[in-house]
Amino acid sequence: MNKLKQKLNSEAYVGYLFVMPFIIGFLCFLIVPMAISLYYAFCDYDILSPPVFTGLKNFQKMFSDPTFFQTLGVTFYFAFVSVPLKLIFALIVAMILFKNSKMTGFYRAAYYLPSVIGGSVAVAILWKRMFAIDGVLNTILKNVGIKCNIAWLGNTKTAIWVLILLVVWQFGSSMLIFLSSLKQIPTSLYEAADVDGANGFHKFRMITLPLLTPTIFFNLVMQMINGFLAFTQCYIITQGKPMNSTLLYTVYMYQQSFEFYNTGYGAALAWVMLAIIGLVTLALFATKKFWVYDGGL
Amino acid sequence: MKKALCMVTAAALAAMSLVGCGSSGTSAPAETKAAETKADAGKTEAAPAASNGAANMVFSWWGNQVRNEVTQNAIELYQSQNPGVSIDGQFSEWADYWDKLATAAAGNSLPDIIQMDYKYLDQYVANGLLLDLTPYVKDGTLNLNDCDQNIVNAGKVGDGLYAICHGINSPALLYNKTITDEAGVTIKDNMTLDEFVAASKTIHEKTGYKTNMSYGVGENFVEYFERSNDAVMYTNGKLGGKEQDYVEYFKLYENGIKDGWHLDPSVFAERTIGSIEQDPMVYGSSPETMSWCSFAYTNQLVATRAAAPEGANIQMTTWPAKDPKKSDYMKPGQFLSVSATAKDPAAAVKFINWWTNDVECNTTLKAERGIPLSSKVAEAVAPKLDASTAEIASFLNNVVAPNSSQINPPSGNGTSEVNDLLDKLEEQVCYGQMTAEEAGKQLFEQGNKIMAEKAAAK
Repeated sequence: MNKLKQKLNSEAYVGYLFVMPFIIGFLCFLIVPMAISLYYAFCDYDILSPPVFTGLKNFQKMFSDPTFFQTLGVTFYFAFVSVPLKLIFALIVAMILFKNSKMTGFYRAAYYLPSVIGGSVAVAILWKRMFAIDGVLNTILKNVGIKCNIAWLGNTKTAIWVLILLVVWQFGSSMLIFLSSLKQIPTSLYEAADVDGANGFHKFRMITLPLLTPTIFFNLVMQMINGFLAFTQCYIITQGKPMNSTLLYTVYMYQQSFEFYNTGYGAALAWVMLAIIGLVTLALFATKKFWVYDGGL
Repeated sequence: MKKALCMVTAAALAAMSLVGCGSSGTSAPAETKAAETKADAGKTEAAPAASNGAANMVFSWWGNQVRNEVTQNAIELYQSQNPGVSIDGQFSEWADYWDKLATAAAGNSLPDIIQMDYKYLDQYVANGLLLDLTPYVKDGTLNLNDCDQNIVNAGKVGDGLYAICHGINSPALLYNKTITDEAGVTIKDNMTLDEFVAASKTIHEKTGYKTNMSYGVGENFVEYFERSNDAVMYTNGKLGGKEQDYVEYFKLYENGIKDGWHLDPSVFAERTIGSIEQDPMVYGSSPETMSWCSFAYTNQLVATRAAAPEGANIQMTTWPAKDPKKSDYMKPGQFLSVSATAKDPAAAVKFINWWTNDVECNTTLKAERGIPLSSKVAEAVAPKLDASTAEIASFLNNVVAPNSSQINPPSGNGTSEVNDLLDKLEEQVCYGQMTAEEAGKQLFEQGNKIMAEKAAAK
């Protein structure tokens, strides 16, 4: 009993005890599913009957699957367009909110709100209705006098933009990170610039932006990863329609796994996406030395 | 050093979020093997706590607004008659239903009572997911004495009885008679395709209303179409018919778009296809986004009438076909099954018995799924039902029965993927990105490949 007490009191045991919930969760919900998914990636598996090992067949199948390449294209376009737009937007709003006024707290909360609710199914459905042929957008355009009967979601050129807009609208978390970094830029730098007669644009260009580059980099990496993994928006709003022009990779993965019952192929697709995200992240890190200012903060 | 650490963290984050997304899908199948061995090895365990009938059960079905309401009412009725029993009703639209059910099967968490369809019955039985009801019929828990044996047999696979059919349907073209009258077009039963196209053209010219030719759920219509060519479309391992047949099928859409009578595909981008409430016949803002007809089934008449705008006169006829007698069929549908993993199979069977033989239950259900299976119940319920239901019975008996053929056998493996291909090709034809010839060729070649691959994997 005493021994047990002693053991429990030792720092190591207490430490393990405290991290246990995380370790258990990590093993059960991450490592084990990942291992199983890796196994399925090499199997012919249709959910209902047991998996059969087939080696590299699933990976070979990708090369002769035109939808695979199409959906990769859509996903890259989606991520590379939506993420920079989102960051620019987040930065602009952060700059505006940075100025202190009585209502600052309220505005910050208000602009953060879309990020809290934006990933939800309800907002996706709302979005779908807004851009419907008889939706809010077309009605407003009509009232303004623009005769508009565009099927935003039914047109291959506009449908993807409906999704991009929804994602850009969720700029809140990037904005908050920008805000906190803006606060850390020493005011003495701006004062010195004032003495030198710099105008607002100069100050932004020569002080704010360079000192923000580490934050921009961080946001870029995080949002890029999120961008590649976007699912809800596409699944709820377009389901890849029209003609797969909005079919994001994760939704295709889902379709293969649970609609066509090619779950082995779906698992293989997931691992390829992991590799792609890894490569993109590596590439971003490789560009770091050219534009990220590492010295100041 | 700092840099390297940073990189590792970022990579780990990427991995985590990816797997976090994938895990909801991948973790579930882990349990499948357990479920299967259980089903394979020991048949299904008898229910230990069946005696007092106290049970928590899940009952899932697909459907529409009307069905959801009547079913929920029936469940409440059962609960009030059987204190201690609680049934959780879960419903989805048709397409989502089967995704959900497959995922549940993989996670060993199938609902206790499952609404089953003819198309999927074989597949579920082959994988040991459904309970054989024969012993319960023998010991009297499930009383089928007043039921037509032919209809009961529709739920048999091999020697086992795995599902109880609760409604006979047939394909039915629902149409808005207010519009056809306005256009001066008479719609008669057993229309040919040429007559249908001519009617669609006239209606478009006279009223502006367009036609929705089963867009996005083409699989039933193309199968129907093929039946006129004496071909069974979805057989195991290959696609029936000839390439030219499919070209002909896509031509219908190509011409429909070219001549302006078919609905623009963009209308469908924002709808849940297959949902009665969002069907272009009952929902839309202007004639050019609405259809005068809807390719549906007889048991969707009531819900469609409920969803239709006030004043619209919704009527019913057969789907158009080159040879209506060959194409048309009666379909046993709306099966109820008990899952092999049900916690209390006896209680679930008791519920199905009540569903089959209780007059009050069937009064509540309003025969929305079809005429009650038990002849005694059907007789007792008949005077309480509304006119639509009597209309459906007479349509099935007098229009379909004398002029139809035997239904196709259940579809082979790979059908859902071919259906998706079909919808995508149809979409491309309607958007003018592909000709009917190309689409027909692709459907036939790729469809055959998919069916062959799936058959080989077995």
